[in-house]
Amino acid sequence: MTTQRKHPLLKRLNRLIIYALILLAVLLSVAPILYLFITSLKEPELAFAIPPVWNFTPTLRNYREVVSSTRFDRYFFNSVVVALSTTAIALALGSLAAYGFSRFRFRGHFWLRMSTLIPQMLPPITIVVPLYVIFSGINWVDTRQALIVSYLTFTVPLSIWMMIGFFDDVPVELEEAAMIDGCSRLQALLRISLPLALPGMAATAILCFLYCWNEFLYAVILTGREARTLPVTITAFMTNRSVFWGRIAASGSLVLIPVLIFALLAQRYLVRGLARGAVKG
Amino acid sequence: MNFSKTSPSIYFRHVLRRLEPAFYIAPSFIVLGVVLLYPLGYSLWLSFHRWTMRTFRQGVPFVGFDNYSTLFSSPDFLNSIRITFTFVFLAICFEFILGMALALLLNHEIKGRGIFRSLILLPMMCTNVVIGLTWRLLLNYQYGLVNYYLGVLGFAPVEWLSSPRVAMASVVLVDVWNTTSFVALMLLAGLQSLPEEPFEAARIDGASGVQTFFYLTLPLLRPIILVALLWRFIDTFRIFDVIYLLTAGGPARVTETVSIYVYRYGFQSFNLGIASAASFIMLLIMLMIAGILARSIGREIGGQ
Repeated sequence: MTTQRKHPLLKRLNRLIIYALILLAVLLSVAPILYLFITSLKEPELAFAIPPVWNFTPTLRNYREVVSSTRFDRYFFNSVVVALSTTAIALALGSLAAYGFSRFRFRGHFWLRMSTLIPQMLPPITIVVPLYVIFSGINWVDTRQALIVSYLTFTVPLSIWMMIGFFDDVPVELEEAAMIDGCSRLQALLRISLPLALPGMAATAILCFLYCWNEFLYAVILTGREARTLPVTITAFMTNRSVFWGRIAASGSLVLIPVLIFALLAQRYLVRGLARGAVKG
Repeated sequence: MNFSKTSPSIYFRHVLRRLEPAFYIAPSFIVLGVVLLYPLGYSLWLSFHRWTMRTFRQGVPFVGFDNYSTLFSSPDFLNSIRITFTFVFLAICFEFILGMALALLLNHEIKGRGIFRSLILLPMMCTNVVIGLTWRLLLNYQYGLVNYYLGVLGFAPVEWLSSPRVAMASVVLVDVWNTTSFVALMLLAGLQSLPEEPFEAARIDGASGVQTFFYLTLPLLRPIILVALLWRFIDTFRIFDVIYLLTAGGPARVTETVSIYVYRYGFQSFNLGIASAASFIMLLIMLMIAGILARSIGREIGGQ
């Protein structure tokens, strides 16, 4: 006899297998990150002991060594300044443009909006080659402003794309009501729509910040000793025949910690952003 | 009534209203024109000129299609294109098979699904440089955990990053670890938006799980699969950081993708004319394939 309904025991077993597989996927995803954190807390000699030592007293020695290494504070500062400035500019420009796209219909609306997707597809190496030549012409190589300008190439389109969605979610009626009550459109935007789109702006800001914070290719090409950012700095720990595993792990963790905090905060929106608005919500 | 006085101002207002959207949109597009379009045009110009570290101070001579023909007769460049496509193909295959499996698993009603989903998402958020460096430690021949645990299970250690035969597999492995969750989450979103009726009908008709998957789930998911495919193609095609940190294109150029080739030519040999030409070829290939994918997405969405 073939029954469609499964035996309860079989059903439980099925469930158990699903659980086990999901846990395996979780373990595989998290283990390398955990390994990095754990290694960063080990004494340097224990970091690459074989067999691995899991039972040890954690120490912050690696972190102290990384932080006190030459100019680490400066590079950290560079990373923060570049990421924050880029985010602020991109958000201001992007929100304004997104508002325009969301509230007006005009000739070429569709194509102009679609054209903001293309910059997000370009290979960064295509843009960084000419940027390097241009910046060396005006003596901007190895400056923070060079990085900020080059990061606008991907953060402005990204924030336009994301903010269009958030402004679309704010009902037009609210603005219209405000304008009937005597507000100009700009006032209506600043007083009504912007505050309502604020959570979306926060998510967009976080995403822009993370893209800049994580960026490596532009930074490695356009900066040297002065304007270097953290991702470039930590690769320096890697090259010396790789004996300082503790320091490598600690510097990696320092870069990663803010990323993971932000990522968990804005997770709901991040997938949307990572799909570059190509799918709705 | 004085028409001659009011009508210009009405006309003026009309023009102003028509121009209102430009007030919002123009600043972004002006900035993008300066920071993006101008460099791209400049790059195109560069690709027809000779620009090297030694000669650029004496001028940048026009060389026509020389850079392009040099590239197309260079085995290294052709190799880098082949490597890129191999990498794109392998990474995308594994990411979609595993991502689909993961999406189907997460589509079950289980306790703690939200937490599992967040945790699975973590690799995707990580800084690429940190991913590269972490895996370089994990895959280290002598002291890496992967080889250690392989040894515990009775396998011989593998030269993950230094053997020309294995390096490509290692690079693919790390990319799969990095982005499978992205594919899985997009597919999961797709699965959760599917209508229920066809599945009930299939169940009543006695379709097996496998049949339902291949004849119902997959075709219904087509649009979202194509969108995920488009973004994965773009990201794998232009990959740089992770490979640069893991192998820097080596050993023996078996992992030298076009991005790394351009980097090496442009910023180690400082031959920026050649580098521009190579990056333009890369751009054209990419836009062509992305265009084909985008068109079929448009058809899918339009056809519904």
